[in-house]
Amino acid sequence: MTAKAKGTDLRLYLTREPVILALLSALAVALFLVVTGLSHIYHAQQSSLGNRWFSRGVADLRAQRFESAVAEFRTALLYSRDNYSYQLNLAEALIGRKRTSEAYSYLVNLWEREPENGVVNLELARIAAQKGQTEPALRYYHNAIYATWPGDQEVERRDTRLELIEFLLRINAKAQAQSELIALAANLADGPSQQARVGDLFVQAQDYDHALAEYRLSLKSERHNPAALAGAGRAAFELGRYPLAQRYLQAAVAANPSDSESVARLKTTELVLEMDPFRRQLSVARRDRIVMDDFAAAGQRLKSCSALDNARGTASGAGSQQNFADSWSKVKTEITEQGFRRNPDLVEAAMDLVFKIERQASTACGESAGADMALLLIAKLHEGS
Amino acid sequence: MDSQPEQQTEVLEENGQVESIASLSERSPGALLRSIFREERFFLILSVFIGVFSGLAVVCFRFAIDWCRIYLLGSGSTLSPNRLVLAPTLAGLVIAVLVIHVFPGVRGSGVNQTKAALYIYNGYIPLRTAIGKFITAALAIGSGHSLGPEDPSLQIGASLASALGRRMRLSRDRMRLIAPVGAAAGLAAAFNAPISAVLFVIEEVIGRWTAGILGSVVLSAVSSVVVMRWFLGSESLFRIPAVHLERPSELIAYSVLGVVGGLASIAFSSGIATLRPRFKALPRWTQYFQPAAAGLLIGLIAVLGAPQVMGAGYEYIDEAMHGQFTWQMLAILAGLKIVATLLSFVSGTPGGMFAPTLFVGAMLGAAVGGAEHVLLPHLSGSPGTYALVGMGVLFAGFLRAPMTSVFMVLEVSGNYSIIVPVIVANTFAYVISRGLQPTAIFDVLTRQDGLDLPSMEEQREEGILRVEDAMRPMGDSVLDAEDTIDRVLHVSEKSSSDVLLVRLSPVGWSSITSQELRRMAAEGKGGFTLGSLLPVRHVPYLHPDHSLDTALRYVDRWPLVPVVSRADFRKLEGVISQHDVLKRYRDFGEG
Repeated sequence: MTAKAKGTDLRLYLTREPVILALLSALAVALFLVVTGLSHIYHAQQSSLGNRWFSRGVADLRAQRFESAVAEFRTALLYSRDNYSYQLNLAEALIGRKRTSEAYSYLVNLWEREPENGVVNLELARIAAQKGQTEPALRYYHNAIYATWPGDQEVERRDTRLELIEFLLRINAKAQAQSELIALAANLADGPSQQARVGDLFVQAQDYDHALAEYRLSLKSERHNPAALAGAGRAAFELGRYPLAQRYLQAAVAANPSDSESVARLKTTELVLEMDPFRRQLSVARRDRIVMDDFAAAGQRLKSCSALDNARGTASGAGSQQNFADSWSKVKTEITEQGFRRNPDLVEAAMDLVFKIERQASTACGESAGADMALLLIAKLHEGS
Repeated sequence: MDSQPEQQTEVLEENGQVESIASLSERSPGALLRSIFREERFFLILSVFIGVFSGLAVVCFRFAIDWCRIYLLGSGSTLSPNRLVLAPTLAGLVIAVLVIHVFPGVRGSGVNQTKAALYIYNGYIPLRTAIGKFITAALAIGSGHSLGPEDPSLQIGASLASALGRRMRLSRDRMRLIAPVGAAAGLAAAFNAPISAVLFVIEEVIGRWTAGILGSVVLSAVSSVVVMRWFLGSESLFRIPAVHLERPSELIAYSVLGVVGGLASIAFSSGIATLRPRFKALPRWTQYFQPAAAGLLIGLIAVLGAPQVMGAGYEYIDEAMHGQFTWQMLAILAGLKIVATLLSFVSGTPGGMFAPTLFVGAMLGAAVGGAEHVLLPHLSGSPGTYALVGMGVLFAGFLRAPMTSVFMVLEVSGNYSIIVPVIVANTFAYVISRGLQPTAIFDVLTRQDGLDLPSMEEQREEGILRVEDAMRPMGDSVLDAEDTIDRVLHVSEKSSSDVLLVRLSPVGWSSITSQELRRMAAEGKGGFTLGSLLPVRHVPYLHPDHSLDTALRYVDRWPLVPVVSRADFRKLEGVISQHDVLKRYRDFGEG
């Protein structure tokens, strides 16, 4: 092949495919630029429309006009379908309209995009809790506690944990609630009202030791806080620390005389202290007197509770199965000052019968009150001792 | 290439030719460029450009639709009744004038026009069609006509590709294929789903899988999707809810959806098949008002409480998927959308059927799912799952693209756990639809337009004749190469056939005539083995599963071709001759 022929050949191909490709590339770039320009105009318009409808939606959401807010957020989403904020606000508006299943689907989508978003996790937890789905609710609550939050993260996390604890208490998961409360108490900022609130939750979770500790912390900062005093009184009462309960309850009633619950609890506490023959620093005579009074009270309870007529009771030393009335009558003859002196075990035997009658009566004839309740509490206090 | 040096390094070219790398460097620059820019390679590069241009066009088309919607219907979700009625009506008038006087080739969806370009017009689609489709479809969809942007995008892509191919002066074969390449690009960009687009074009437009075209179609689809995502983001058309199937027994519920979807598909396609020719037969002057009348009726449906039926309706598919309608409302919307789409389509308004099909499918699916939940509350499938499956069901039943319908749902949902319900429901819908209406909607439309394009569905269903359908047993007339001439002569005299097969050792087949055997015996070679005297004449063999077309290539040159087992080449299953093949074809044609 000659050089001339080669040159012609090259020219032929240079004027075809490479040039065509170069021209196509140039055309593609030019069109790309044109479409980029159009795209800017399009997206700017979409963004502006989206923002306009979103702002209206936010205003309506704040004013709790949920129906309008839903429509406006939906319109905003037409212009920016993937906008996180629009979807989150729409979900909140839908929750406001009680359309939780619709809200849920938006929230799940948002969660998939940002699993660490605190607001989304909390809303999902609330929906799951509302539907009675315990496991997902707990998962989302825990996610929310460790999630990132806008604003003050600590406050948001603490509030979320408080909400979780309330949920756990609602579903009677007291052990889990206690664990969460311990974690919450460890991170609680100094604040008597918060400490008292945590104390209340400990009471609901039946963790009275921690409850008492929280109330005491609260009272250190605010000594006359009636709620904290009443809470501390109740915690001490439940722990069987009646002298301490008496002090707190007296202070609570003094601070808030209309607190009928504390008044009633104080009365019961005073009765317990008054009717307990086993408490320390009690003279023998006084103790004997108390036993006689308690025995008489049990006798009254026995008379008033006809269901106990045929129930069996055994007084120590009686030796055989007898009904409570017979046992009571038999022991009654021995309960005198001389009887106590003759038989040192009589106090134990008499109080044992008293406790049995009170327990049985509370089961058979309904809840006890007044002296009977005090006797039951004394029985509980000395159980196993 | 007269003085090539000895070739050291060999490379296998696409067409099977062996070419030397060393030789490439020795060529003239022109030859080098020629080898680089061979037409098939150039076609692949061109496919990327087709994808890019189609992607850009589809992005602009989307902008145009949205702008039309905002300016004609308003930017809010609560639309004014006046606009709801006036926008589609007035737009209908403008569209009619444009379709009749300026862009006469833009009626309908565009799928058939692309097929016609492939099979009739050698890949020719005027560029004017792309421009007309762009303007009229954007106006129609944006003003609220119940049509979708996918099929127009397909046609715009095909039209751009065709124009580019003409500029490039491609060969006729390439020109024929270039329209489907553009169609795949347009559809992929509109759907944001390249796999479904490729499958649809292969399944419905081209109708066959060949390596050459597949590469181009895939390249163009992928490049168009990349461009589309560059400008519009990669989010799918709707948010996909969590999808799960807890118990296999729930497939019964999806089967019910398949049955309902199949029946709805029949109603939809029968409506189009019946009404379209009647509308076309109306006096010519009515064509000026048909799109406007359709727009007016759709506007009235919207004013009366169902604005969801307007436009493509993707936002409402999204809402249905997320349980935002009651099942009764969903069923009503499905019915109204069928009516609205019928009106728009049969009036000749340009626009696509894909989006309405998906809309009807999603509403119907969610409605069936909702109703089943009322009856059987323990069903685990969410309304979204049923809506998603429902879209595939209508796609399979109405558009009759079973493969695309499955992959479309998978691609859109990105969740493979839905595959079993989709396949089950789609199969029911497809079988019912095909059973009650043998001709697919695209073929019905083609025939109504007076064209006879190949029906892809019929091609798929066409029976293939195989060798086993024509072969006959050889009996005992098979000779062994180790036998003597005298012995085989004795066998040949008993045989009715004049040609006898010879089993060679260790493998292979040959043949000999009785006359040749007699001649050998007469020449005194009776004691020789057949193998030692047999002329070198290996006969090719066939297997029973080979097509009869394959057999035709051999039977004219060989009077008798052995049909052997694939497991044992020495085991003769039968024989086949030209007469056997032709007789089978004749019987098939008569039957």
